[in-house]
Amino acid sequence: MLRHPRLVSTAEIALFLLPFAAFWILFRLGPVLYGFYISLFRWDLLGEVTFIGLGNYATLARDPRFWNALRNTLGFAALAIPLIVGIGLLLALFVFGVRHSRAGRWLEAGFFFPYLLTVSVVGLIWRWMMDPDFGVLLIVLRSLGLGAPPFLNEPRWVIPALALTTAWWLAGYRMVLFRAALEDIPDELYEAARLDGASGARIFLSIVLPLLRPAVLFALVLTTISGFIVFGQVLIMTAGGPGRASEVLALYLYRYGFEFLQMGQAAAVGVVLFVIILGLTLLSFRWLGYESHL
Amino acid sequence: MSGRSPWPRVLLAAMTVLALLWVAPLFWMFATGVKPTPEIFATPPRLLPGMPTGDHVHVVLTRWPFARWLLNSVIVATATTALSVIVSIPAAYVFTRLRWWGRDALFLVFLSSMLIPLEVNVIPLYFLMNRLHLLNTYPAVFLPMIGMPIGIFLLRQFFVNIPAELDDAARVDGCGNLRILWHVILPLSRPALAALVIYMFTFAWNEFFWSMIALSSPRMFTLPIGLRALQGAYDIDYGILMAGASLAALPALVLFLFLQQSIIRGITMTAHK
Repeated sequence: MLRHPRLVSTAEIALFLLPFAAFWILFRLGPVLYGFYISLFRWDLLGEVTFIGLGNYATLARDPRFWNALRNTLGFAALAIPLIVGIGLLLALFVFGVRHSRAGRWLEAGFFFPYLLTVSVVGLIWRWMMDPDFGVLLIVLRSLGLGAPPFLNEPRWVIPALALTTAWWLAGYRMVLFRAALEDIPDELYEAARLDGASGARIFLSIVLPLLRPAVLFALVLTTISGFIVFGQVLIMTAGGPGRASEVLALYLYRYGFEFLQMGQAAAVGVVLFVIILGLTLLSFRWLGYESHL
Repeated sequence: MSGRSPWPRVLLAAMTVLALLWVAPLFWMFATGVKPTPEIFATPPRLLPGMPTGDHVHVVLTRWPFARWLLNSVIVATATTALSVIVSIPAAYVFTRLRWWGRDALFLVFLSSMLIPLEVNVIPLYFLMNRLHLLNTYPAVFLPMIGMPIGIFLLRQFFVNIPAELDDAARVDGCGNLRILWHVILPLSRPALAALVIYMFTFAWNEFFWSMIALSSPRMFTLPIGLRALQGAYDIDYGILMAGASLAALPALVLFLFLQQSIIRGITMTAHK
């Protein structure tokens, strides 16, 4: 009889929600709206501010440098996402395969640890390893007889190099999440499949992969979003170079805002990023059902 | 993948090699940080430092407020974590344990904003913090990281699995919501709280883009921003850069060696149903 009559007053609910909601409104929702508002103005070099409606968006649409940044961002995402999710999945399968051994835990820890480093540490390490003259990675590759161009100085290689660095940094995190999803698959399913004479590959394709689908799709969404806002490793390793070959959207935003002081145009880039990411989020709700996020 | 076939052994050996290669960049960072400069640029490169030196570490620690950066990082990460946990708990409670009109709709709104990163808001946040006269202070960095819906979601996943009978029993005993939350729900939710603490702390510890914009004076820098300044000053003096990176990586490494399993478990929970 006491099941449902939860005596709740509106005031009490509001009070419980208030602390969180206040921060959310002030520092999440508010800035999104404020950012849009700022994007409607132009700052000139004397600090004079003029309302120009959607002019900044028109400027972006005409700016080859913006399209270059968008192309670089998409190129980075297209490489980094499969690398991060793919390597994460592979490592998860390995780690899952040896989960009963003590060493397995240490191996998992080793693969996971780079995730705990700040982006500056990661960027500095890999910049040093890929130094055109003294980078140990290049030296090792060359001594193996493989051609190793100075990755960070070559427009064609710089984005792949950044993607690889990012994969090293983040794949361990994906691995841990996938490993947890693998553990959720009941042992009986494997047993049954094995009794039916299914091979390892068959088990993977018909049982493991379908059951991992939600986790993989969710990882794809999250990784895509982090790909769109890539910044720190680019700033540290290449500062957008050579030329503008690795200037990504977040770096474009940063430069227009804090180097060229075009606050309106920078804010417009923020709005564009917001729209892209919100779109991806809502799309993922459709694919996965928003319940899958819970 | 049974325990008796020879497979796991082969797999284990192969993985050990792979794991060693995987952590090799860390080794290279530490090694470079203690090599004298000529050894750093020796060809062919030497694996181990021939004559280890503390010179680079000395430069980082004496010419830069490195300890202060560490302290700043600790302050920012602790404030972010403590405040997020405090505001997320009651919100997660009303979203799971109580029924009210509009609950699911509001939840969906928070949910849609969950994946919106801080990065898209740096320009408006800069204006906002400027107006509040908070630029170049700790609150400028941590305030925007607090209202992150992930906190509610994480706790919510856990709260929903606590039987409603427990609330009812407490209610019969005359407990209000606050006491139910404090005496019934929270004691049962330690794993979720631990997960949230770990998640938020790592998040705040590693935040880069917004911190770089919000902080302008070197004494206020957090570790990632300080390292960036170090790079600006020495560009390709890799001994100093790797010494700084090593020092910055050390706290994470030490903590991880001690808390390895809880950290991995906590991180796992953030995406675990």
